[in-house]
Amino acid sequence: MTHESLSRRSVLASGATALGVSLAGCSGGGGGGGGGGGPTVGILEDRSGNFQLNGTSKWQATRLAIEEINENGGLLGEQIEIVDPDPQSDNSRYQELTERLILQDEVDALWAGYSSATREAIRPIINENEQLYFYTTQYEGGVCDNTIFPVGATARQQLGIVTPYLAEEFGEDIYIIAADYNFGQLSGDWVNVLAQENDYNIVGEEYIPLDETDFSSVINRIQDEEPDFIMSMLVGANHENFYAQRATNNLESIPIGTSTAMAQGHEHIRYDPPALTNVYAGVSYMEELGDLREGENFVEDFYERWPDANYLNQEAQNNYFSVYLWAQAVEEAGTFDQQEVISVLEEGRDISAPSGDLTLDGATHHMEHEMRVARADENHDISFANNERIGPSFLREEVEGGDGCDLREEDKTTQYVPSDVYDV
Amino acid sequence: MIAATAAPLTFSAYSLIALLFQFLNSFGFIVLATVGLAIIFGMMGVINLAHGEFILIGVYGTALPFHAGVPLPVAMIGGVVAATVFGVLVERTIVNRFYDRLLDSMVATWGLALVVSQLLLIVFGSSLDSISAPMGSVAYGPFSSSIYRSVFLPLVAVAVLVGLYALFTRTEFGIKARATIEDPETARAMGIDTDRMYTVTFAIGSALAGLTGALYAPALGSITPNRGSTFLVEAFVAVVVGGPSVIVGTLSAAGVLSVFNATGSFLFGTFIGQMLLLLVAIVALRALPNGISGYLDDWQQRRRAEE
Amino acid sequence: MSGSLDGGSTSLLGRVRDRLEGPNTIGDSPAFWVGFAVAVAALAVYPFTTDPYTIIQSSRYLALSFLALSLCFIWGYAGVLSFGQVAFFGIAAYAFGIIGINLSSTVGVGVAIVGAVLAGTLSAALLGYFMFYGGVRETYVTIMTLVVALVLNTFMAQTAGSEWAVGAAQLGGFNGMTDIPSLTLGVGETALVLEGVGLYYALLVALVASYLGLRVLVNGQFGMTMVAVREDEARTTTFGYDVPFVKLVVFTIGGALAAVGGVFYASWGNYIDPSVFGIAFAALPVVWVSVGGRESLLGAIGATLAIERMRTGLSSGIGPIGSEWALVIVGGLLLGVILFLPAGVVPRLADLTDELREKRSERSQSTAATEEPTE
Repeated sequence: MTHESLSRRSVLASGATALGVSLAGCSGGGGGGGGGGGPTVGILEDRSGNFQLNGTSKWQATRLAIEEINENGGLLGEQIEIVDPDPQSDNSRYQELTERLILQDEVDALWAGYSSATREAIRPIINENEQLYFYTTQYEGGVCDNTIFPVGATARQQLGIVTPYLAEEFGEDIYIIAADYNFGQLSGDWVNVLAQENDYNIVGEEYIPLDETDFSSVINRIQDEEPDFIMSMLVGANHENFYAQRATNNLESIPIGTSTAMAQGHEHIRYDPPALTNVYAGVSYMEELGDLREGENFVEDFYERWPDANYLNQEAQNNYFSVYLWAQAVEEAGTFDQQEVISVLEEGRDISAPSGDLTLDGATHHMEHEMRVARADENHDISFANNERIGPSFLREEVEGGDGCDLREEDKTTQYVPSDVYDV
Repeated sequence: MIAATAAPLTFSAYSLIALLFQFLNSFGFIVLATVGLAIIFGMMGVINLAHGEFILIGVYGTALPFHAGVPLPVAMIGGVVAATVFGVLVERTIVNRFYDRLLDSMVATWGLALVVSQLLLIVFGSSLDSISAPMGSVAYGPFSSSIYRSVFLPLVAVAVLVGLYALFTRTEFGIKARATIEDPETARAMGIDTDRMYTVTFAIGSALAGLTGALYAPALGSITPNRGSTFLVEAFVAVVVGGPSVIVGTLSAAGVLSVFNATGSFLFGTFIGQMLLLLVAIVALRALPNGISGYLDDWQQRRRAEE
Repeated sequence: MSGSLDGGSTSLLGRVRDRLEGPNTIGDSPAFWVGFAVAVAALAVYPFTTDPYTIIQSSRYLALSFLALSLCFIWGYAGVLSFGQVAFFGIAAYAFGIIGINLSSTVGVGVAIVGAVLAGTLSAALLGYFMFYGGVRETYVTIMTLVVALVLNTFMAQTAGSEWAVGAAQLGGFNGMTDIPSLTLGVGETALVLEGVGLYYALLVALVASYLGLRVLVNGQFGMTMVAVREDEARTTTFGYDVPFVKLVVFTIGGALAAVGGVFYASWGNYIDPSVFGIAFAALPVVWVSVGGRESLLGAIGATLAIERMRTGLSSGIGPIGSEWALVIVGGLLLGVILFLPAGVVPRLADLTDELREKRSERSQSTAATEEPTE
């Protein structure tokens, strides 16, 4: 099927060149590099709509990294062009723009999307065109796909660092609240997996529609169950109100573990204390961590380039280092050819990132991250604890009956979920 | 995979109090979200799809001065004023062309909504710092509820409805306004400046939207340019369930919808609460095509006819 | 449709034209049909003049045009404004996905098409019956259809768990349903998978056929009844027409058209998600039809193509104007059209050409052959 359509498309493309006419007139001044020109990178990050709060700094950090590379002479002697239309948090627009960036602008690598819904929306297009694609949001994990590099920390990495820490500090009764969609439900499953492995008790579990803003009934139920701590995988601007309502109801005494709050939407800055007091996030990076590389200052560079930026979030750092990861692979491959770059990446690579010395696992396309627990105190000051290096163990060691997923050995375009391995 | 519903609270006197507070919370929200839309719809027949953005202007009009150091109650006045001024401008330039074109008014105000929310993004950036809710909480048994959301706002909601009732029945303006709604031709013949009546009515609706925004600015959590939709759907549903009469309609619709919403959320979790609210709206529309207040009017007329 | 200039009503062509023309459609002149034929021919050769990406995008716009046609038909001709036309579009898209994934074969795709269109049509009939026989009218119809779409949106968004599956098809919650098959033509080994250009032509043929079919319908006897219902329900009732029944039939046909669009849309992206039921998407058909002119089927299609093309273009910004202004421009344009061209662009253009024609015929009794094409 794929082959047939591809060949038909190439016939067509040559027909188009022969006629040399394009009615596509106003395709916009986003700097469409177009086929045949220099190397081009596509950035699709939300700068308006529902996810703009998280997407904007991802877009800013990606641009920063590419501009830095260009200032230092470019890649393989060529300046990299950027195509970066705004997908407006709209998944059908994402599909459309992904097609455009691949077919019209012929991007050599693509950074796209905040939510996992977006990633799933464009994944068929990525697969059909075998496009090299970096997905940089922290996510539920399990994507094992030929041309996709999900370089953000996964739920197993994030929850794996923060849940045991809280259980040890505060007790083993956990109340789970999470956004009612794939990411939230799978994250909830991961907390359940951790509870099974360590004999914690799940005293309550609740999934909340993404457009809900009122948490009075949720708070009453939590008060009823009196958990030792809450695991919160709430998502988006609507759900943030939970933290505000928690402060109103003097619930700060019950600590919260999370994989979503603070490191992305910087709630600890946007909300007055004590809304986020005693919130513990499992993170790979936050702006407060600064830059762990020698003689570099990512945070300063970022704000110098984008003085109006709100926050440098965890995802933005992923965009930043993964651009360099790609650039290194291009240099080593000596070409922008996507398959060859992927082959180089699949050999595995060490990279020095602002968040520490990381390793790309070639077989699974995922990162070994330096994970840590970030805690907001009563003034919303951030402190870090429990630094640990965690690899993508779920994909590497657990799926396929323990054989793991190895993209160097076989082609795959799949996503594993915890219930493939665990009884949840 | 786990069932998506939460376990209900242990049944006790305390949990019934919790349910009552949840009901009040929901009731206050629906009344305040609806009343501005209801006035403009009930009195002028215009459906303002930018209603959420009017409220948002109230939110921004409150949050911006508050972050500049103005005390919250004073900042709230700023929110009301901003929305009112904006409402008058919109009425004079856009809405006054749509008084006899109800459906077109929906399309035009939808366009306006897009423009306003995106302009807020361009001008004020992706979010404003949020404001903490005042007044703290009341504790009972193991539970607590926010005084601001569950006591203060419902009281304000009732006060707004009482105030509107007085305005429309006890003042000369109210009588003129109602005359204009009933029969604009005759009203004009009697020397009422109907254009002015419409402008003032629209301004009142906008001011109430601004008030809602001002009051919810500290109870909204994040303040981002797309929060308008938080209010729009509930307001929409309540207006049609309530029917054309502003006060009776808003009051009865908010009562019915929040009973279902609060009980659903209380017993089965927030998802069921949301679904119940929408499903009740569909059933209510089918059973009472002119809304609750339309049904009450019919019933009264029938009774009068029988007597 | 080879664009003959003779208007003789005795020829076969003339009889076909008689069926297609009438007081309820704009563009009855030979010049219009020439223009129409040229436009269709231009769309037919378009794929040879452009790149694969543009063809894929244009296919998307064509699929959305069905949604516009469907709303134009029920709103423009029967006065029923549905703000939830996307519900039937989305139901058909999901149904196509569910059946197509479960019967993964070329025959399966055929079954899926029929099943999906039926699902969309029947749900429109059901909702129509519920509303029109229950006395729900005017604005309340608008709200009710919107609320139905929002219920579906809320419901589908939470179907993320593995328990929400129909056979092999996962509903997928907020993330949507993936792996929806592409359309195929034919059976077995020889079947042609409709992707890229193939899908484009399938859409073009289906759209032209639907447009011409609707013209026949609205200019026929039933069309006259529809317009009568739009203009004055009470009087139509006194003439002995069953108004709720007429509305039900119209609403059901509208649902079927939206369903056809939904099938194309789902197979276009091999993907569907609950945002098709959301308020932002629900507003789009109303936007297209208002701008194009609610009483002009062709206007609705044209406006869909133009507005969607513009929205795509604007997402990259235009010259110095950044992409952040895209929504401001779209909203402003909408406001401007509604304020200054209340009937929509196409009816206004038609009026203008009529005026021009009258002026010209006053001056000299020239023949119609020199007219400029309307629409």
